[in-house]
Amino acid sequence: MSQPTNVSDDLLWQVVRSNNAYLIKRKTGGGAYFSRDPFNLLNKHSRTHAGFVNSKAVSVQPSGEKGVSFSTKKEGKSNTPAKSLNTHKFKSGRSNQKVYKAISDNVGQKSYRSDLNLYAIQRASAVLDSQRAKADAPEKKTRGAKARKTQA
Amino acid sequence: MSNRPTVGIVGADGASSGDTHTLPAVFSSPIRPDIVQTVHSGMAKNKRQPYAVSEKAGEQTSAESWGTGRAVARIPRVSGGGTHRAGQAAFGNMCRAGRMFAPTKVWRKWHQKVNQNQKRFAVASAIAASSVPALLLARGHRIATVPEVPLVVASSAVKGLVKTQAAVTLLKSVGAGPDVVKAQKSRKLRAGKGKLRGRRYKLRRGPLVVYSPETDGKELVRAFRNIPGVETSPVTALNLLQLAPGGHLGRFIIWTSDAFKALDDIYGSTTEASSYKKDFLLPTNVVSNADITRLINSSEIQSVLKEPKGYATTKRTGVQKKNPLKNRQVLLRLNPYAAQYSKDKVGQTGVEHKKPEPLGEDFKKVLHEN
Repeated sequence: MSQPTNVSDDLLWQVVRSNNAYLIKRKTGGGAYFSRDPFNLLNKHSRTHAGFVNSKAVSVQPSGEKGVSFSTKKEGKSNTPAKSLNTHKFKSGRSNQKVYKAISDNVGQKSYRSDLNLYAIQRASAVLDSQRAKADAPEKKTRGAKARKTQA
Repeated sequence: MSNRPTVGIVGADGASSGDTHTLPAVFSSPIRPDIVQTVHSGMAKNKRQPYAVSEKAGEQTSAESWGTGRAVARIPRVSGGGTHRAGQAAFGNMCRAGRMFAPTKVWRKWHQKVNQNQKRFAVASAIAASSVPALLLARGHRIATVPEVPLVVASSAVKGLVKTQAAVTLLKSVGAGPDVVKAQKSRKLRAGKGKLRGRRYKLRRGPLVVYSPETDGKELVRAFRNIPGVETSPVTALNLLQLAPGGHLGRFIIWTSDAFKALDDIYGSTTEASSYKKDFLLPTNVVSNADITRLINSSEIQSVLKEPKGYATTKRTGVQKKNPLKNRQVLLRLNPYAAQYSKDKVGQTGVEHKKPEPLGEDFKKVLHEN
């Protein structure tokens, strides 16, 4: 079933922008508005990034311990939620550069949502970075009088 | 609308049964959160129980003011002696054990009349919103596994459904499982006194199962009623409080196919009156196409728009006057010949000075002729 003419992305945004299940409003931090929508690449509450409203949106999420999963919404398939997504999981062994290239090919180059290309890559990069094992901090060197004492 | 989209009917196993049904006209009603919210807040008030403080509270002493001259405030004071209470201030809302300010009365206006046409409009709007996946997501419903929105389940699947176990299996197989689980896990102790008054827990709303009482029977109500968050409603008595809980559009509704088919009969269309509701026509959309982006980019609009400002040919007003003798670009604008003039170096070529040619013989002759 295609979307009936009484609804559009613009109208939906007007309906949900003041309040929705993904919206996080806090009085602290200057009253920032954030979004928990998985299809929001910047977690920012805005028309461009509100993935659940836009008929075309991109999602980059961690998949398992390592690797990212990348999904896009199929246009005109929103009424069949079970079949509305194109999802691809990048395996953990794949080089980061290749992951970014693949995402860029699917978001920017084919101009699916070229405005989101940079954000998709940035998010993938942040996810992959967070999955990397953190190197131990180097041991602290003793300096001054304490160092001379231990040397002696 | 002549060309209405069709909706697939899902079987008991969650797969398509192969049958389809055209989308009832109610689903094309305008989405109006403003109307739904006002109607909801009015309707939600109609179940309230009156409450008030006791008429006598804070007024049960024979206190009198001591008047002036005793170096104390003129508030009424409890008479007598022998207890600590004697001489204490009484009655006032600022007094300990005094009456409250403007004591609440049972004859407060508890209920609110909502116009029937507004209620019908709101219900139609809420039904239309229940077919928009984005609004279901915005309400917080988990619909990732749902095969289609609006979700219509074959009536044969719910017929004779009496056991809750079977109802749970059905919900899971049609993809409503995650939403039920979400409601189940959301049970939290209520804040405040409601805990002591029979409203101990708060729970998210799960799917609403809408059935046709005549054909589907009412046994399924019992099957579904013990599943947390799941509600049932007969299609003939849809309630806005269930269709848009909290005044928020987009309740996840599971229709039985008989209930879905009955919608056209119950709500009629924008031109044909409903057979159940007297003098009711479905509300019409103010704009036939709600897609603003498409409207703006349409050739009809673009062709009549003025060109954007800042083009080379845009007339610029209120700018500083430039001296064309010093600013070549301004000069060229004023005098298109200036370019050719300088190209041909007309300004540099001097006037040629030759010796004047001697005057001819004829000239002299004519001059001296008498």
